[in-house]
Amino acid sequence: MRDFLLNNVSPFPAKADANGHAAVHIAPIATGFVTHVLGKGNAKADAAHLTKLISDIAPELGATLRSPSPGQWFWVGDCDVSQGRFAEISGQIPGEYAISDQTHGRVRIMISGPQVRDVLAKGAMIDLADGVFVVGASAMTQIGHIGAMITRTDDDCFEIMVLRSFAVSLWHELHQMAAEFNGPHAG
Amino acid sequence: MTSFRIDSGTLIDRDDVRSFTFNGEKLAGFGGDTVASALLANGKQLVGRSFKYHRPRGILTAGAAEPNALLTIGRDGRRDPNTRATMAELFDGLEARSQNCWPNVNFDIGAMNGLLGPLLGAGFYYKTFMWPAAFWEKVYEPLIRKAAGLGRASYDPDPGYYEKCWAHCDVLVIGAGPAGLAAALTAGRAGARVIIADEGAQLGGGMLAEGGLIGDKAADAVLADIVGELHALPNVEIRKRTTVFGAYDDQVFAAVERVQKHLPEQAINPDRAMERLWRIVAGHVILATGAEERPIVFGGNDRPGVMTAGAMRTYLNAFGVAPGKRVALFANNNQAYQTAIDLEARGIEVAAIIDPRSCPDIDFNGKARLIAGAMVRDTAGRRAIKAVTVRHDDGRDEVIAVDALAVSGGYSPIVHLACHRGAKPVWSDEYAGFMPPEQCDGMVPAGAVAGCEGVVACFDAGAKAVLPVLDGLGFGAEPVRLAGVEGVTASAPNTMAIWSVPSSKGKAFVDYQNDVTAGDINLAMREGYDHVELAKRYTTNGMATDQGKTSNVNAIGILAQNKGVTPGDIGTTTFRPFYTPVSFGALVGASKGFEFQPVRKSPLHGWAARNGAKFVETGLWYRSSWFPKDGETFWRDSVDREVLNVRENVGICDVSTLGKIEIFGADAAEFLNRVYCNAFLKLPVGKARYGIMLREDGFVYDDGTTSCLAENHYFMTTTTALAAGVLTHLEFCAQVLWPDLDVRLASATDQWAQMAVAGPKARDVLAQIIDDDISNEAFPFLAAREVSMFGGRLRGRLFRISFSGELAYEIAVPAGFGESVADAIMVAGEAFGIAPYGTEALGVMRIEKGHVTHAEINGTVTPADLGMGRMVSAKKDDFIGRVMNLREGLVDPMRPALVGVKPKSPSDKFATGSHILKIGDAVSLANDQGYVTSMCYSPSLGHAIGLALVKGGPERYGEEVVIWNGLAGASITGVICNPAFVDPENEKLHA
Amino acid sequence: MSSLVKCPHCGLRPREEFTIRGEVATPRPHAGADEGTWFDHVYLRDNPRGQHREYWHHSGGCRRWLVLDRNTVTHETGDVVDASTLKTEGQA
Ligand SMILES: [Zn+2]
Repeated sequence: MRDFLLNNVSPFPAKADANGHAAVHIAPIATGFVTHVLGKGNAKADAAHLTKLISDIAPELGATLRSPSPGQWFWVGDCDVSQGRFAEISGQIPGEYAISDQTHGRVRIMISGPQVRDVLAKGAMIDLADGVFVVGASAMTQIGHIGAMITRTDDDCFEIMVLRSFAVSLWHELHQMAAEFNGPHAG
Repeated sequence: MTSFRIDSGTLIDRDDVRSFTFNGEKLAGFGGDTVASALLANGKQLVGRSFKYHRPRGILTAGAAEPNALLTIGRDGRRDPNTRATMAELFDGLEARSQNCWPNVNFDIGAMNGLLGPLLGAGFYYKTFMWPAAFWEKVYEPLIRKAAGLGRASYDPDPGYYEKCWAHCDVLVIGAGPAGLAAALTAGRAGARVIIADEGAQLGGGMLAEGGLIGDKAADAVLADIVGELHALPNVEIRKRTTVFGAYDDQVFAAVERVQKHLPEQAINPDRAMERLWRIVAGHVILATGAEERPIVFGGNDRPGVMTAGAMRTYLNAFGVAPGKRVALFANNNQAYQTAIDLEARGIEVAAIIDPRSCPDIDFNGKARLIAGAMVRDTAGRRAIKAVTVRHDDGRDEVIAVDALAVSGGYSPIVHLACHRGAKPVWSDEYAGFMPPEQCDGMVPAGAVAGCEGVVACFDAGAKAVLPVLDGLGFGAEPVRLAGVEGVTASAPNTMAIWSVPSSKGKAFVDYQNDVTAGDINLAMREGYDHVELAKRYTTNGMATDQGKTSNVNAIGILAQNKGVTPGDIGTTTFRPFYTPVSFGALVGASKGFEFQPVRKSPLHGWAARNGAKFVETGLWYRSSWFPKDGETFWRDSVDREVLNVRENVGICDVSTLGKIEIFGADAAEFLNRVYCNAFLKLPVGKARYGIMLREDGFVYDDGTTSCLAENHYFMTTTTALAAGVLTHLEFCAQVLWPDLDVRLASATDQWAQMAVAGPKARDVLAQIIDDDISNEAFPFLAAREVSMFGGRLRGRLFRISFSGELAYEIAVPAGFGESVADAIMVAGEAFGIAPYGTEALGVMRIEKGHVTHAEINGTVTPADLGMGRMVSAKKDDFIGRVMNLREGLVDPMRPALVGVKPKSPSDKFATGSHILKIGDAVSLANDQGYVTSMCYSPSLGHAIGLALVKGGPERYGEEVVIWNGLAGASITGVICNPAFVDPENEKLHA
Repeated sequence: MSSLVKCPHCGLRPREEFTIRGEVATPRPHAGADEGTWFDHVYLRDNPRGQHREYWHHSGGCRRWLVLDRNTVTHETGDVVDASTLKTEGQA
């Protein structure tokens, strides 16, 4: 077998980290995993139960769960998971949960800065105000015409998860939405 | 004498001189001016011509209701026609032009229309241009179009950026006059999330026109304190230059914020929106929109120099512009007298106050002569008013020389937003106006809109109106108060309604913008159009861009007067959004040009681009359509080569855009068995099956393959076109029809980069990167399973399925690795002559093989129509579409069914959409035998081929027919044949 | 501009996030039901002035099918429930 080069290519533009000094910082989250966990429709599957389960099976991955829908979760984490490890975990999860690796299908963007809510309000209807959308909250919604899951990860910091095929469009739109705060004319 | 600048004006900054042009003439104004105030300061009272009669027109108002002073402002892509001069802020370098006049505003040829007056009365569109009919298109319409029309839109694209935003608040305060400010401040101090929006450049509304003291402090200082405190409150969001233009369902309010429209071009930040469309989700709403002053309908009431009394006061106090040196006031209410008081305070002579009330109950101590029981019946002057003719109560006429006339016919509460969702305003005889409806859809009207008069009373009302709202939200609140103001006495304006002056001489205008006169409304009534909605449409009253803000109530009053009823009996026309015109730019937002819709990119997009792909938009996706090589100048050169290369060697194609759905659960097999018309219950692990989904009405919905990857785990592919639709359909089936089944659906379209590797040498290529045995024995046709690749470095999913009809595989790998794998396949395939192929070649090959797509699955075909009738399970109890698929009409043997068509003479061509006729039959619908659904040039066969749906279908193989193309006027002789042009025995598939 | 729907799972969301399928039809009949029952199920829909029960799919959110009580005159929406809580098959 020839020694073919295998690169995991990011869907984001090559210079994706270039705006490090911007007022509204936008950066891809390059590493990590996203797993879609689907609970049995009418089972008593709940987040607490699932948290315990995955903490036992894969303690090294953390147990961050975000629910897009009742009985469904995205299990996300910042460390890379090999296909082999994922297969192992799959095998250990009981049948009341099905899991589908979405690490490549759903990509994540971090957006932060004091005006981050003003930027996101240009696309998302949901109320992201401090007291309403608390740290840790997440919502499956739309940013403009693009479906996305918004999660508040810190005070002025949000994570956006989007289908890979839309990543370039959303990336471009977020920059356009933030331009008045970031551009050469900002201030 | 004309209007001129005086030494006052709380809004203008005399150190900030701004130059601008009006119809090319260089003029100057100050920062804080509107275009209207700057024009008046420069003595420009004549600013435009009217729509129909091209009469000289001046500035009537100082706000959003302006019907006359519509200018075209800006140039090229930034040109805004029909801009109200009263709302446009003056900036340095602004260019303004009059509309409706040629060759210029002072001498206008169209003014001769005035002579044609009798022809242009009510309903003239319906009468004058009716006969002869042939004249409409050739004569009347071009004439009307040339003469009519307001400003012209620019043909250049607007370079500005626009956007749409959402906002949320506990309390939305609409209008920042005294009532709105008090409500916002009360709510803000209490801690509620407040948005206060006002259409003006400055907060203040009616307070801005106050020249004197409020309590013991200057009005502008009081206002500055309030605004300062609001700005300091972090829970209060202030939106100036923001018009809330619509009230929608579920407490959503739409507003447009003019973010940078008031800036000179060089000051515009291109990254900032020119205008922002807000959708505000409001818990509660304080409607503090104020009231509109009505003009009075009398002869010559449109002469430049005639202005509403409140507007005159605003220009005087806020902008430092006097309307003239000798002014008369014609008013039917007490509030308007304040204009006379303020004029005299600035040293301007008030020649007369003409009050139709015989004994006005007013304490007026000014110098002006008060003429009670009298009305203005006519005005004189060519381009500006020079005199008024007053009809005294004894019938005597008196001509009074004036250079400006203030008019006040009472006040109309601005109830629009309270009525957008269907509620009707309520007539009040006391206020002589339509008041907000009793049920205001969760809005609380406060201030002038609710009938309050004066700054102090409105402020007090606003502060109190918001209290119950805050109480309901759980905020303890104290109403804010104006310092130094003792007690508030509410006073009514004592308006005596006069809808038109009976003794009017000449044209008395009701709707200035559409040139509708009192006579027109009377005529409409005489002709039977006396219902308010009919009168509106017959006369066009209220149908101009100002939507009748100054004219509707007067028109209703005239109708009421003539019918001997009250305006309440007549009722209003329907209030609809938008309150004022909204630019298309704001409505479109950022969705234009490249941003019109999102783009979906395949994980192999970069690989395809590096290989020279030409992309085509399919829905949101960009798909590679062909890959030209050096020397290929025509798309067919590339496509033919790609097809032949697959048929002879091997090709690789990006099929990542196919919909992919993972199906889990103990009942997944049963679920598939119910959504596909063919059997799926016994699909073994490691196998793929082609499936057809029907709609419940029995027609084909979509097709694709589903593979069983493990027990209770399936992987479905759908067509690219219906990926979203199929998932939605499956979700409906799982959640609504059969919630008891354990089935769980996950969209996996984006997780996988998927490539078709097709051609006789496909196996040789893939064997170099796949570790597992993929020989025909180990991995036969329709095998489907996970495989190890690259010596165990990657796992992928391999499917032996074929759309091209060749020996073919589809290999799916995690999307991020897609490009590397495609590159590796290209390298591995080099020795076998591999070449990428696009959707065009794919399309050609599927036609050659007789495979269908949505060109054939068009919503009117059954599986039998597609030659797949035997796939429909007769054994299954139930599946979607089972019963309806057996309907009489769906099993008729003469239904159009799938066939191939080819030209009798190989050099002949035909087109998709061509109809099939029997040879010798006349071209008629009755003789129609079917039509060509797809066609292409087949490089494998060397001639055109097509698929068609033809009556009788396969029974007619070999029959010669006419392939008729009515559009091109061409028809050829064709032959009906088996649609599988290539490898009908499927030997290649199983190789 | 917009209107809002209260998804029982996601809370208040704009109409743009939803896809409307139409009236909640008669329950899906058994395969053996007579043709008339099937025709009613597949084709027969009311078009009332007033209360209307509709299927709404929260396609831009949780992707659950909802049943929404909507007044076609006032657009007021009453109860919104997950459609799986209604048994809609096999009752005919
Ligand atoms: Zn939802």
